[in-house]
Formats: sequence, C-alpha cells, structure tokens
Amino acid sequence: MAVKDQLAALEAERNYEHPIYDVLARFPGLDIATTSVDALLEWGAKNSLWIFPMATSCCGIEFMAAAASRVDLDRMGTIVRGTPRQCDVMVVAGTITVKMAPRVKRLWDQMPEPKWCIAMGSCAISGDFYRDIYSVIPGIDIVVPVDVYIPGCPPNPESLMAGMMRLQERVSLKRAGKPVPKDERPETHDKTIVPKIGRFEDRIAKDPNDRTTRLQELSARTLKVQGLELPDESGE
Amino acid sequence: MSAVEARVAQLEEIFLRFELKAESDADNKTGGPLVPRARHYELAQALKEAGWTSYVAVVASHWLEEKKGETVVDVEHFEVATALRSVGAGTLVAKWRVRLELNEDIDSLFPLFAGADWQEREQYDLVGVSFKGHPDLRRLMMPDEWVGHPLRKDYAIETGCAPWR
Amino acid sequence: MAVAETPPAAPVTPAAQATPIAPVTQVAASTGPLVPSGPPRDGPIPPIRAARTPRTDCKPTKAFVPEPHLDLSTYEADADLMTLSLGPQHPSTHGVFRVVLYLDGEQIVKAVPYPGYLHRGVEKLCEKLMASNITPIIDKNDYVAPMTNEQAVNMAFESLMGVEVPVRARYLRTVLAETQRVASHLLWLGTFGMDLGGALGGGTSLFMWCFRERELILDLFENLTGCRFHYNTHTVGGNRHDVPAGWPEMLHRTLGAIDERLDQYLGMLEHPIFSARTKGVGVIDADLALELGLTGPLLRASGVDHDLRRDAPYHAYAEVDLKVFVEDAGDCWARSKVRIEEMRESIRISRILVDNLPPGPICSTKPLKMVGQHKLPPGQVYVGIETPRGELGTWLIGGGANKGSSPYRLKIRSPSLHACAVIPYVLPGCSLSDAIAILGSLDPVMGEVDR
Ligand code: SF4
Repeated sequence: MAVKDQLAALEAERNYEHPIYDVLARFPGLDIATTSVDALLEWGAKNSLWIFPMATSCCGIEFMAAAASRVDLDRMGTIVRGTPRQCDVMVVAGTITVKMAPRVKRLWDQMPEPKWCIAMGSCAISGDFYRDIYSVIPGIDIVVPVDVYIPGCPPNPESLMAGMMRLQERVSLKRAGKPVPKDERPETHDKTIVPKIGRFEDRIAKDPNDRTTRLQELSARTLKVQGLELPDESGE
Repeated sequence: MSAVEARVAQLEEIFLRFELKAESDADNKTGGPLVPRARHYELAQALKEAGWTSYVAVVASHWLEEKKGETVVDVEHFEVATALRSVGAGTLVAKWRVRLELNEDIDSLFPLFAGADWQEREQYDLVGVSFKGHPDLRRLMMPDEWVGHPLRKDYAIETGCAPWR
Repeated sequence: MAVAETPPAAPVTPAAQATPIAPVTQVAASTGPLVPSGPPRDGPIPPIRAARTPRTDCKPTKAFVPEPHLDLSTYEADADLMTLSLGPQHPSTHGVFRVVLYLDGEQIVKAVPYPGYLHRGVEKLCEKLMASNITPIIDKNDYVAPMTNEQAVNMAFESLMGVEVPVRARYLRTVLAETQRVASHLLWLGTFGMDLGGALGGGTSLFMWCFRERELILDLFENLTGCRFHYNTHTVGGNRHDVPAGWPEMLHRTLGAIDERLDQYLGMLEHPIFSARTKGVGVIDADLALELGLTGPLLRASGVDHDLRRDAPYHAYAEVDLKVFVEDAGDCWARSKVRIEEMRESIRISRILVDNLPPGPICSTKPLKMVGQHKLPPGQVYVGIETPRGELGTWLIGGGANKGSSPYRLKIRSPSLHACAVIPYVLPGCSLSDAIAILGSLDPVMGEVDR
C-alpha cells in the first residue's frame, strides 16, 4: 500500500479531533512528525499553562477541587506552582482586600511575560456582595489586567475548566499574532446580585435628617472618601 | 444536683458577691448584668478561680443613644461584653457587660487569659475601645495606617482607602 | 605539608546498584546508609529521624522563654538574626496569612503573625442586612464547613426570637453538621499531607484521596440543597430543604465507603516518617490551650475533655451517646489522631440519626414572603456550637436597622482566630520545617479568622 493510502486510512480511523493533527503529518511506523515551528510552539504554549493560584478564600477551595482527583486540571498540561516566577497564568480565586491588593500587584509583576490572568468567582470579578465594603476591592481588574472572567459564587470546577479552555484559545491567537478578543467584564444586574445595602446617596436622599446618616456623611468627609459625590454643604 | 445546676448556683453566688443579679439562662437575653468599670477585672479573676477557665469572647459595641426610662437621649457610649466558659461537664457561659464613656478605657484581661490578646486587638481595631494594660495594642485586621474604626455606627460602610477603592 | 586530604569517594558496588530502593519502613529500622555513595563518615551513620520517638532535642539551644512579645534587642543570637516573611501568599499558610519569623540559624526565635488579609467586613455588612439575608453571607466565613456556620447564626436568631425548631429539623441539622465535619476533616487531612511534603506518598497522593472522598459528600449535599457548597439551607426555625427520596441510602453508601477507608488513614499515622514529623512537635499543654481559648480538636488533643456536643447538647445530640476522643500529648500527631477518630464517630452518628429521622414539618416558620418578616427584638444572646474547628459563637444584639429586622451588632467568635493566636507561643524553639507542620495541624480557615 502506498504511503498516501496508509495516511488516508489513518485519517479515516482517527476518532478524535485534536488540533495538532491538523498540522502534523504522521508517517506510519516512524515516530517522526513534521510541522512548522510556529505551530509547534503554539501547541506547546497553550498546553503548558502553569498556574499561580492566588487562592484567597472560598473560591480557592473550588480551585483545589478542580486540581484534585475528579476534575483534574492537570490533564490540560497545567501545573500548580507556588512561586510566580515559574508561572504563566494567575488565577485570582477569592476576595481581594485592601491589605492584599498591593501583594497581588507585586506577585503579578514578578511573573514573566507572556502572562495571563483569570478572575475566578464574583469576588474577583466585581467584589460580589462585599462590593460596597470598606476593605474589599470591587473587582480585581483595578489591580491587574484580566483576560478571562469566570462567574459564579463559587464557579464549579467544570466552569474553571471551561475558562481554561477559553484562555487556551486566546493563547493560540496571541501566538499566531492575531488580535485577541477582550472578555467583557460581566455586568452585575441592578436587581439581582448586589443587595441594596444603601449607599450614602440613597440614604441621604431617603431621609436627610437621619442622625446616623448625617454622622456617617461627616466621617466620610473627614476621611476624604474617594469617588464620593456628596451634596455640597457650603452652597446651602 | 446535676453538673449544670451546680454551675448555675456557683455563678449566682459569685455574682451575688459582686452585688449583681444573675439571670437564669432561659430568659437571659440581656447579655448579662452591667458591671462597674472598676470591678471588671476583679470579676474576671474571681470567675477564673471558680473554674471559668476558657476565654470565649469580648464584644464591643458602639451606641449613639441610650434609653433613660421612657425617653431616648443622645449619649454616645460603648458597651463591652465579656464571656467566659467553664470547661467539661455542665459547661456554662458567664457573661457580663461594662458601659464605657467615649474617652474611657477598660482593663485588659490579657494578664488572666492569653486568649484575650487578639480579641481585644480586634475590638480596638474595629470599634475603637482601648484596653488598659494590653502589651501590644495594635490594629489586627486593618492596615496600620488606616483611619477610623469601621464598626462604629458613624462609619459609613463604603468608606474607602485610596488608591484601591 | 598538612593539606587535608579529601577522602576518596566510596566505590559504588554493583550489589548496591542492583538493590532496589528499600521501602521506607525498612530503611528506618536499619542503620545502613540510604544511598551507598559519597565520602565515608566516621562511625555508624545515624538513622534517619524516623527512628526517634518523642523528640527531646528540639529544645532551644539556649534558654529563652517562648514569649510572644519577646524583645528582640535583648536576644543574643549565635549567628545573625534572620527575618523570614512566611506569607501572605504561601501554599502552606492555608489562605492569606502572614507570619514573620525571626530565625537564629534554623531555629525560630520569635514568630509574629499578621492576620487580616481577608477582612471582608462581614459584621458590618450584617448590620445592614435582614435576618433572612444573613445566612448566605455567613456561609462564606468558614468556607470549609459552611453548614455549621449557618447553624450557628440561625440558632442565635432562634434564641433571640424565641422560635422553636421542629424535631425533624433538629435531627437533620445534626446529620448535616456531622457529615460536614467529615468533609472538613478530610480537607484538612489532604492539605496536611501536602504540607508534610514527601511524608505521605509524595505529598499529593493523600490530597487526591481525600478530595475523592470529599467530592462524594459534596454530591450528597448537592443532592439535598442544590449547591456544592454555600448551601443556604438553614433558616430561622428549621431547614429549607427536606430530605429527597433515596437520600438516606445515598448517605449510607457514601459514609460507608469513607468509613472503610478511614482505617487506611489511621494506619498512616503510624508511618515512621509521619510520626517523625509530627510526634513531639508543636506541643500545646492543657493550661496554655485553655488560657488561649482553644476549642475543638485542638483542646481535646491537649488532654482536656470538653465537647459542647456532649456537655451542652443542642440539636439532637442529647439523643445519641457521643464518644469524645481525648489525647494527652498535645502535639501535631495527637491533633491528627483526634481528628481522624472524630470522623469515624461522626459517620456513626449520622448513620444512626438518618435512620431515625422523625416525621413532621421541617420548618416552624412560614416561608419568607416579604422583606422584614423575621423581626429581631432588642436583646443580646450568645450561642456557641461545636464546629469542626471548635466553638463557633455568635453574639447577637437585636433591634437594629430596617425597623428591627437587622441585628444591631453581630459578632462571630471564631475558633480559628484563637488557633492562630497560638502561633507566637508554639513556634519559638522549633525548626523552620516544623513550623509548616504546626501551621497545618492547627487547621485555621482564614475566612473565619479575618471575617
Ligand atoms: S465569589 Fe463567592 S465563593 Fe468565591 S470567594 Fe467570593 S464569596 Fe467566596
């Protein structure tokens, strides 16, 4: 049988799709493959994403579950490393607080290029219901650029897997020099997730003479709260 | 007499010594009797000697007003509640409260219970009550340079800290 | 010429090459060299540490008091004092926790912990939310055992509002709490295995096994509540989800399978390397444990017979005869032993109770229809329950915002906070590698420490 026929037979036998087979031509009986260097590098880059777990809270436990026996993230070629200097992907799993944010930034800066960031869970995306709290960062993209958002509280391990696959697509696009689409930051709907715990503006509008609200406003003024647009007292 | 009853009797006896009224556990929804500030440490010591050896909690709360009879008056003050637990069969929680003015401090229980260390630091950090005699009264949760005490009622929940919020 | 001659490298004998690496148990028993190459030493090579039982040589070389507030300027180090910041992002600190270690050589002189990297202001948030909205938030505190968190806060609400819980709900709560305890201890065991590195089959094997079992329990909970964790299944006056058909059988199957494997885990405690790394390490004596307010397995491993489930029964604990495990040593090994034995006991209790679930309603209050249905009257209560980590208390002051349906102040007394407060007392005098074992054996959950 000619080599060409054998190849065709092999092609027909192939019962699963792996992108590598689109660029590799196999010769039967020989462990040789030919491909372009670019394609090989792309294949390597997207299948050896080493993870730096910025696992701070509950999402970190789901991250561990994803790395453990049932879901087994390792089969995508990921290895969880304890040091940022060996890693390609930072998975921010959990709430990031004001005290932690500078550390996240520093660890992110220690990672070698090219690097990627996954925001896992509502806390990392937007701060979840801790969004309005004094000590919580409302979304990790204030600190580091995020490539993939995985919503959920917590996301299932399967969702994390899907997110990793989305990241792999981006990695190969970047490798090929094509434009990489940016993930839209998921919008939190006004009525659903965030409980209306009552921001200043709401509370002042509701009852301008409430003593606690006035006191809090006063304290906010003296503490110079950022980004608060309070009614100007001097004009009254 | 069961172990619990014995403990209850013992607690009543100690509270009586301090001229306090011990409430029964079933309708004890006041957080324990109010103790004068000066006798707070003494009471804890007496309880520790009587077997309340496990440190449970200290809870400071910030109040903007107070009920005097029927009327409500604006008196800003703190209330510090402490709880200790006796260990083993018939375990019982002993709790009492101390009322503090804004500028007053309270005796630290650190010399009696090492476990008071972090709890008192936490209350100092979040509510702003200061504990006299604590060896290392620093902020526990918030960064050292933080301004204000978040759990006070006049602290707005969304107060931020530049540049992160 | 007095030039010190380097001894010639010992020839590698073909026999030694051919010998496969002996299992670790045998190496520990013999005094022979582990690897037969390298320069010969004088005298017999000391056995690896596995052969030693309780360690006496981890005492500090110079007399110092393991004092938490030690003034370093008064301490005279042999070499330069080295500062090592462990955390806040370190795999073995179990979350975001920072300990600054001052080292004299390999020996820790002083340890200063810095918590607060996960302070999410839950207590402040609860002052704004209504009683019924608080349960899902409290779930996220101790994210390793959310069930018991919910129970603690809801029991405080019930106690303040004077709501009775139906018998069926009390039984179900007990089953859930005990099953959760198994899951929580499994997670601890897995991560502890990782912390000890090569001690237990290369580190990750134990982690994989424990997660395999834990997933089974999460399936069980998912079947009941619809969530893998963060269940939101408890409410004021009972539970929200009744037992679905076939659930008791599923529980029997799951817990039965885990029960069989527990023997393996118990056997692992006898592993020479495991005992070498844990026996005599991080001893907390009973007095210190009590004074520091330690509870749960940490207190029981120090020889104090105290368990809220037995001594101040809540839920349906009065109906079962609970065995409480106490160990006297107070070291990491004793803490491991207590936790593994507790798992077995929890499995036994859950299996008994799920068979005897009484019929009746599951919740005594009406399902939530409108905002502010549950009113918290003014007053203060303290309710403490025994979670996998110890006494989780809720101090609740009622009559807050939203016309009295929010708490005025809610304070959570977390057992992990006290567990972490132990660090300055235990670490000084130990070596650096022991620090990791001790941190792991304390089993802190940072969400609960910082809240
Ligand atoms: S998104 Fe939910 S599960 Fe994840 S860290 Fe935040 S609160 Fe925890």
